[in-house]
Amino acid sequence: MRFFKRLSYLFITVALFAACSDKKENPNWVINEVMVVNETNFVDDFGQRNGWIEIYNNTSKTQDLGGRYLTNDRNNPKKYPIPRGDVLTSIKPHQHAIFFADDRPFNGTFHLNFVLDPTRENYIALYENDGKTLLDEIVIPAGMKADQTYGFAQDGVKFDENGNITAIDLERVTPSSNNAVLEENPKVVSLEETDPLGGLLTITSMLVVFFGLIALYFFFKLSGNIAKNMSQQKVAQTGTLSAARSQSHLSGEVLAAISAAINELKEDQHDIESTILTINQVKRNFSPWNTKRQSLRELPR
Amino acid sequence: MNTLLSLADNLRTFWSYTGFFNAEIGHIIMILVGLVFIYLAITKEYEPLLLIPIGFGILVGNIPFNEAANLQVGIYEEGSVLNILYQGVVKGWYPPLIFLGIGAMTDFSALIANPKLILIGAAAQFGIFGAYIIALQMGFAPNEAGAIGIIGGADGPTAIFTTSKLAPHLLGAVAISAYSYMALVPVIQPPFMRLLTTKKERVIRMKSPRVVSQTEKILFPIMGLLLTAFLVPSGLPLLGMLFFGNLLKESGVTRRLAETARGPLIDTITILLGFTVGASTQATTFLRVESIKVFAIGALSFVIATCAGIFFVKMLNLFLSKEKKINPLIGNAGVSAVPDSARISQIIGLEYDPANYLLMHAMGPNVAGVIGSAVAAGILLGFLY
Repeated sequence: MRFFKRLSYLFITVALFAACSDKKENPNWVINEVMVVNETNFVDDFGQRNGWIEIYNNTSKTQDLGGRYLTNDRNNPKKYPIPRGDVLTSIKPHQHAIFFADDRPFNGTFHLNFVLDPTRENYIALYENDGKTLLDEIVIPAGMKADQTYGFAQDGVKFDENGNITAIDLERVTPSSNNAVLEENPKVVSLEETDPLGGLLTITSMLVVFFGLIALYFFFKLSGNIAKNMSQQKVAQTGTLSAARSQSHLSGEVLAAISAAINELKEDQHDIESTILTINQVKRNFSPWNTKRQSLRELPR
Repeated sequence: MNTLLSLADNLRTFWSYTGFFNAEIGHIIMILVGLVFIYLAITKEYEPLLLIPIGFGILVGNIPFNEAANLQVGIYEEGSVLNILYQGVVKGWYPPLIFLGIGAMTDFSALIANPKLILIGAAAQFGIFGAYIIALQMGFAPNEAGAIGIIGGADGPTAIFTTSKLAPHLLGAVAISAYSYMALVPVIQPPFMRLLTTKKERVIRMKSPRVVSQTEKILFPIMGLLLTAFLVPSGLPLLGMLFFGNLLKESGVTRRLAETARGPLIDTITILLGFTVGASTQATTFLRVESIKVFAIGALSFVIATCAGIFFVKMLNLFLSKEKKINPLIGNAGVSAVPDSARISQIIGLEYDPANYLLMHAMGPNVAGVIGSAVAAGILLGFLY
């Protein structure tokens, strides 16, 4: 009982520890890159250049933007309802959708009913289907230059380690594609530079392996001791051979030898001749599983 | 005359589609390798359950054909039957299913009864990281080195799972290397076990393990999962399925599920995994200098893992009282080739003391090795993927 109490304390501590972490989570949808003034950049299906908003699916599952709301007005969260039922609003994991801020909503799903104004701050927000739950928001500073985008250097990474928003003027304009172009696995590149011999990774990894298995060792050492004590107490009351074992701490082999010797002694004392035959009735229960008939195909009649 | 010419043309076209026409020396070499695998499996009984599917897979994968004809038969041709079966390897979902079966057939009692044996399983993982260092020195990139290093875990499914993520282009070489050396454990390990132990150490008798209660057996997979997966979430597919399978076995109320997992399911997946891994060794993609290097490092990794396990036991014995000392012959079992390496401990132990049964003791580090290699794989994926 005490053991389970300890176990539950351990769980509560871990849970509290996890809950106390103040690290800000990146949202599932991120307003990832925004262009306010588009002079020579991305052209829409109608051959027009307008400001655009890129939204990024920051999860490992396909999500649908249909039914959610985009707005540039803090007081009107439902300003642009993204139409439902358009297959194009179903965004694959870690992929993007581009919305044109051209105030021409009748041009299609991805054409908003507002424009972005470079002379003032632009507030952009994405709301859940209820029009109340905020999914993500961003404030684009006033005075954005033409063909310049504002957003996050790495797709979907809105907050840094200290919880600060990492939005900046981006170096490259990358509509509908990754903001950071990764030519190589950054982890591998960094390891090649910092640990060319592999010693650091080896030491770290072995420490983790040992730590994990030592944790298991301690747990089972503890639970083993508890189980041993409990079983000793239980069998001590029964007065059986197991009880003798638990009290005398004799090894299994010794007890097996003693048992065999007692058994042999008892066998020697019997007065029944070993030539007596006992005939038992052999009975086989019927089961469809062992009948041959069931496993044979019957001929058609 | 024209008919004859057309006939000759047809025959010529047909000839260009045959294996004889498209055969290269690489195909012949690989077919010979496949035949050796089948021979070893049947006559020497080295891991026949693995070597027969792999060996035959090598034969199938190396039947030459006209790749330009888009016949949709090769394992690397998208949409072909073999390619569809191979997706379980490429996407890494065969290995966790194998782990489910392993969990459902493994008895962790030896480990629970004597938990310090877990540490031997941890020490043997030096094989993985030793091989990682060697691979780096031989010019492999860190992700490739990680994939090659995992051979030292002596665990085929783990090696395939890790390589499919870190370096898919080395998958064939790593998988064949891992399974070959697992089959060759009876050849690789004994010389080092004899070399690194004294006669006195080899006859150490260990106390028989205590009886483990049902509650402890049930707690093992639950706590094992929580402690290891919280530490290394990247190993979750392997660890999760391993411990899930074990819970099916130990709970006592899901016997049918446990029997399916350790019977028909693992058999089916083993057939598909072995066969497709074998078939993936198509000479055109497999026969490269890289593959030979992978084989060489793989052999070294098994040696390092064996030696690390034995040395660790010897070191541990320095701190243990006389009656609690561990026979270093079970140190080799820290590599997770279950149950072969434990069987080797038993065989070598009996050579020196015919009444010293080490098998049940060796099973402790052996199954700890399975957990240890899955944890190590998780770490490699965390750092390199």
